[in-house]
Amino acid sequence: MEYVFFLATVICVWIILSVAANLVVGYTGLMSIGHAAYLAIGAYTAASLNIFLGVNFLIALPIAAVVTAVFAMLTVVPLLKLDTFYFALATMGLNVVVADTIHNAGPRVPGTEGLFGVTLPDLLASSEARLGLALVLAAVCVAAAQWIVTSPYGRSLRALRDREDALRSLGKNPRYFQISIWGVSGFLAGIAGAMYATTLFYIDPTVFALTVSFVLLVYIGVGGLASILGSILGPTLLLAFNEGLRFVGLPSDVAGQTQQFLYGLLLIGLMIFRRQGLVGTYDFKE
Amino acid sequence: MIALQVLVSGLGLSGYYALVALGFSLIFATVKVFHVAHGTVFLAGGYLFFFLHRGLGVNLLVAALAGVAVAAALGLLIDKLVYLPVLRRGGGLFSVFIASLGVSLVFEAGYNLLSRNVLQVARTEPLTILTFGAVAIRVLDLFMAGLVAVVFGLAYLWLFRSTAGLEIRALTDNPALAGVVGVNVKRVRNTVFLVASALAGLAGVITAYDTGIVPDTGLRVLFIAVVAVILGGVQNLMLGTLVGSLCLGLLTAFAGLLFPPWVSVAVFLALILLIVVRPKGLFAT
Repeated sequence: MEYVFFLATVICVWIILSVAANLVVGYTGLMSIGHAAYLAIGAYTAASLNIFLGVNFLIALPIAAVVTAVFAMLTVVPLLKLDTFYFALATMGLNVVVADTIHNAGPRVPGTEGLFGVTLPDLLASSEARLGLALVLAAVCVAAAQWIVTSPYGRSLRALRDREDALRSLGKNPRYFQISIWGVSGFLAGIAGAMYATTLFYIDPTVFALTVSFVLLVYIGVGGLASILGSILGPTLLLAFNEGLRFVGLPSDVAGQTQQFLYGLLLIGLMIFRRQGLVGTYDFKE
Repeated sequence: MIALQVLVSGLGLSGYYALVALGFSLIFATVKVFHVAHGTVFLAGGYLFFFLHRGLGVNLLVAALAGVAVAAALGLLIDKLVYLPVLRRGGGLFSVFIASLGVSLVFEAGYNLLSRNVLQVARTEPLTILTFGAVAIRVLDLFMAGLVAVVFGLAYLWLFRSTAGLEIRALTDNPALAGVVGVNVKRVRNTVFLVASALAGLAGVITAYDTGIVPDTGLRVLFIAVVAVILGGVQNLMLGTLVGSLCLGLLTAFAGLLFPPWVSVAVFLALILLIVVRPKGLFAT
């Protein structure tokens, strides 16, 4: 049962991250393939505050979210003038730079390659309580994202994605929307990162490698771009499927490659046959 | 002097990058596809060569040729089975890029399974080394230098002194107009993929022979080649690619000496800076 709680908590974390990514990729058309970088900043900020400075986790979490949001906004500004390709390349580069920098110079518990020992307030010590927290956070994030995308602000985002000049002609500044939604996305990714750090107990830079961003891409691609429901469906289905693979009896090392293999096939299949994913609304013609 | 030795190593490395970069830039310039799977093709040549030469004891030259040929075929297959279907069904170049990532993942899983992440080195005997004072140069590096010179020389003749090359350059300039004028775009596309993939396979074979390959090597070498191509200027197939590769070879060699854990960071920072500051590269046409 413990394991089911753990899995459900991980799914909640990925739902939050998928929503964060879908907001910028699906709704705003900013193709980010390096979002794991922001997950890393959130996780490491929260974990470091908690482990090294003894900050209560429930305070460290929002701090991590804000720090990630600021970091995200700062790092996206120079990239906004790039067209889709180069933008995506630059976000990949950012992911590698963040992960490697943390690996080489980042905080770590002495004697290990990463961080462990995040302590939760007694109220949250059990895995059921952690799941409860994760569910609450996921629900809040999903609701917030849904509110954003159905608002006039959300309409402007979609306009920005589809016809930027039309948006400009209405007197609206695209930069304002891009930077602000990127900040929101960073905030959510920070929350996801902080939760991830406590769920996994031990985090190191490999948890945030470039391949993780690709996996995220598969999740939102399968679920559906520009769909909050899709951001829930994608990670849930794929993570559950992943765990299902275990019960098929594959040895653990083969299981990893099988997953990678299937995800690759999924990406190819999605791009050829159904770019909008299961329930997505954005069939990008890019 | 260490610096001189590193310089020589850097020049040696640039040879591999140059081969991969030339192929990549050919594809990118003509059909505008960001062929991430180029790294996969590189590895395919290397792994097949390793399997044939080291595993089955096949003659070196035969195994090498087999590696190159299979790589060339694989590159063409990827275009036909993945990229063209994406484009035909309304996808754009970015979708092709994502599909290319998918292909990379699929093959990387396969390579991981095959090799269990063990470094595969196909060489069975040590390399001959020539020493000039404090600097040791491997015969293989000299061979690479000669090979790259020959390859680039042939490429130059092909691209700038033949009709086929003219057609390719027409595609890099204006694909629609090229088609109108009577260039067989499909055939040129196939040729480009075949030749570029053969070059990548060749680089893979030699790398497998020299320092060995792991499934990671493909993407790593590819991204270095990408930076080299962007640095040299995407439209500049020959001189730009060569200069870019030289710079990257030196960069990775010196970074490897001065701050080894930061080599990837250095390369990707260079990528980001380049893209943001000067996407047209050094030799913008």
